[in-house]
Amino acid sequence: MTIENAASCDISTTPSATLLLPYFEVELGKRVNDAANTIFTIINTSSNAQISRVTIWTDYGFPAAWFNIFMKPYDVQAISLWDVISLGRLPRTSNSGSTASNPHFIVTESCASAGGDLSPDMLASLQAMLTTGVRSADEATCHVGGAHPMAVGYVTVDVVNSCANISPLDIAYYSQIILFDNVLTGDYERINPDANTGNYAGGNPLVHIKAVPEGGAAGSGSTSLPYTFYDRFTPTGGRKIDRRQPLPSAFAARFIQGGTGKFQTDYAIWREAAAPASSACSTNNVSAMPISSIVRFDESENPMVGGATQSATTGGSIGLAALPSTAAPPTASSVFPPLSSQGVAGWMFLNLDNRAAGISVSGNNTYSSARPSQNWVIIHMRAEGRYGVDYDATTLANGCTPNGGAEVMQVPQPQVKKAVK
Amino acid sequence: MKRLLLPLALLFIATIASAGTVAKPIITENNASCEIGNYPAATLLLPYFEVDYRASSNTAVTTVFTVVNTSRSPQIARVTIWTDYGYPAMWFSCFLTGYDAQTFSLYEIIARGILPFTSSNYQRGTASAENSANGNFHSEIWCERAGGSLSMPMTERLQKILSTGKRDEPNCRVGGEHPNAIGYVTIDVVNSCGIDSPLDQSYWREVLLFDNVLTGDYEQINPDPTTGNYAGGSPLVHIRAVPDGGVAGSVAATALPYTFYDRYTPADAKKIDRRQPLPATFAARWIEGGHESFHTDFTIWREGVVGATKNECEYVRNATLPVNRSSVIRFDEQDNPSIVACGQETCAGTLPVVSATAAGGGSLFPPLASSNDVGGWMWLGLDNRVPGSTASAYSTPRPSQNWVTVQMYAEGRYAVDFDATALANGCTAPPATPSIVAKTPDKQ
Repeated sequence: MTIENAASCDISTTPSATLLLPYFEVELGKRVNDAANTIFTIINTSSNAQISRVTIWTDYGFPAAWFNIFMKPYDVQAISLWDVISLGRLPRTSNSGSTASNPHFIVTESCASAGGDLSPDMLASLQAMLTTGVRSADEATCHVGGAHPMAVGYVTVDVVNSCANISPLDIAYYSQIILFDNVLTGDYERINPDANTGNYAGGNPLVHIKAVPEGGAAGSGSTSLPYTFYDRFTPTGGRKIDRRQPLPSAFAARFIQGGTGKFQTDYAIWREAAAPASSACSTNNVSAMPISSIVRFDESENPMVGGATQSATTGGSIGLAALPSTAAPPTASSVFPPLSSQGVAGWMFLNLDNRAAGISVSGNNTYSSARPSQNWVIIHMRAEGRYGVDYDATTLANGCTPNGGAEVMQVPQPQVKKAVK
Repeated sequence: MKRLLLPLALLFIATIASAGTVAKPIITENNASCEIGNYPAATLLLPYFEVDYRASSNTAVTTVFTVVNTSRSPQIARVTIWTDYGYPAMWFSCFLTGYDAQTFSLYEIIARGILPFTSSNYQRGTASAENSANGNFHSEIWCERAGGSLSMPMTERLQKILSTGKRDEPNCRVGGEHPNAIGYVTIDVVNSCGIDSPLDQSYWREVLLFDNVLTGDYEQINPDPTTGNYAGGSPLVHIRAVPDGGVAGSVAATALPYTFYDRYTPADAKKIDRRQPLPATFAARWIEGGHESFHTDFTIWREGVVGATKNECEYVRNATLPVNRSSVIRFDEQDNPSIVACGQETCAGTLPVVSATAAGGGSLFPPLASSNDVGGWMWLGLDNRVPGSTASAYSTPRPSQNWVTVQMYAEGRYAVDFDATALANGCTAPPATPSIVAKTPDKQ
């Protein structure tokens, strides 16, 4: 074992080189006080200046916008996604007048005025990508995201060496820009002020993804991680150059649906896309990625099975749940196996590996190796128009050990109900 | 910055960088690090609870937590309710069939004396192993009737301990005095429904198990429209056994430098519990004010200094665990630092084992800077080893263990709970406190 910091594959809430907001939802066309919104905050815990690259991705995993934030030592920055997506207002930061430095910075001049307001065209494009999935009228058949009333997607925050504007789809971002200092921490708050549909908030730490090992200049070092968080994007010959911990595939997530408080549960699920980084319009593999296995246990441990399961008699598929790169389906939806009894609560085993249909390692080299896809799950519970909680589901094995939870996958089917205790 | 190199050149550089250096060894296995994450664990910690046991259930502040057995095998969970001075007020066992989930309402337990009733005779789920199919169970598990109802005198005694700190010794306190019942809870995986006290060495040598199979979460609910009208929730603190597995009392080699239950374990087997230690230094965000009138509390769990003693009069020492206020720094939104200006002799604040302290006020935390900022974060160095403090039951000179949860609330409808960020794991030395001199904020 190891007792060192940043020397394992375990994801924990400790300062990191990348932060992941797995799911956001922003209601456009309403005033900020009435709109559903997601706010996240990042903190530089170090005595050095840092530059954070914020990337807003669509729910199909396409980078819709990115910008940089210059952070002085011990700086904190809150980012309202309503301000960004509804108003086009990015946080303004600057290194001018700051004597703080970082030995891994390469060009800081471009940080003199980081952020600011988006142009009307850029704002319109951003809103279109996050609500319709279409980048422009010229590319109406190219869907980089799903269609939904709210702007939906996810956010990554990387520690980087400059305020360069290079795209996260460019391999140069990983070989020349991204850094490895585990110095960032952060959290998010998801606010639903509508008295009819919400009237509550939920919050949670961002997912803290460490560089292992940490430190060094951009493009330096190597890691013994079997693969990395940005595996899909990194250059051939340097597939682990980002050194970021991979995320796991199997989770345990509790649910309540019904009961006297009319509880409801959504699972906000982030999933690694199953398409190469270069295939922006090839969304079939991203909009509905298969789920390997879901088992719902009710309050009496009655198991019900869903996901890409096979019939014991015919060998054919008897159920194929699918989700895009990020979504928040209710546990009462058809994505999940139905409740098997009168109970209103229990938990689910989720093996979210998207390889169920054999779509992962293809000729276009989506992943660097035959491995489970990466995922993250956050539980949203709410009740009575005033209670709301968000918290991470439990990871059943870290992302470096792909067989975690395999025991549960052997659940026989169909299931036989038993009496409630 | 413009793109500096052609992609092919970048590819070459990347290849060289990858091949030209030696990777630092890391551990990729599960249950082999000191990181506290949301993984199935052998012990779960609810760091703070609060129950208004005098109010009706519809209006009472309460804490509810749920424990899930993620394994196919049955498990037995030992639930211990501790006072805010770290005294075990009561404990009971819960038999969990394979894949079982059990919810515990602390209002039901403390206000009504109703413990969850479980039994090894319960019918298991169709995917679950037989209720006897746990090779680490004791030959006799005594779990036919686990839990159930407390008598009225026992319920009132529990209420008294958790709200007044008074137990048997009239002049001694095992907990603080407060209107609500306050304390913390631990849940251990064990081999039987025996009644050994966690203050008995037999609990650690003969009862405690090491299977990382439990997960859980809590919800803190305040239904009162005048004081709350919201809920917050978070995972319980998942403390793994490293390495995991084996029968009770088995002494497996662990590289952990000390363990979570260090104060209670036998002198000749201090690491027999194999539980990961908790860290000492945290980063915790705060908001105070603004047009929504946000407020923030830090709920802080701290390792006491009293060992496994049944002498009730000892526990008052856990009421005033030192906090070195020079290790607590407030940063505002302009990263202006604020620190209590004091010498070492005058810098000691105190907190008990568990507390919920407003981040904006009081004497413990540095004052808000004069920048008119309403948010920021705090560096919290919570090691209780201030100079002059020698009384402890720790196995080695080491930082004390702690945990911090951030609770934010606003407008009588918004509330969130989330864990603060641990700045280093519990196995390594805490990071040095930033060398910041108390100053007047330089930015407005």
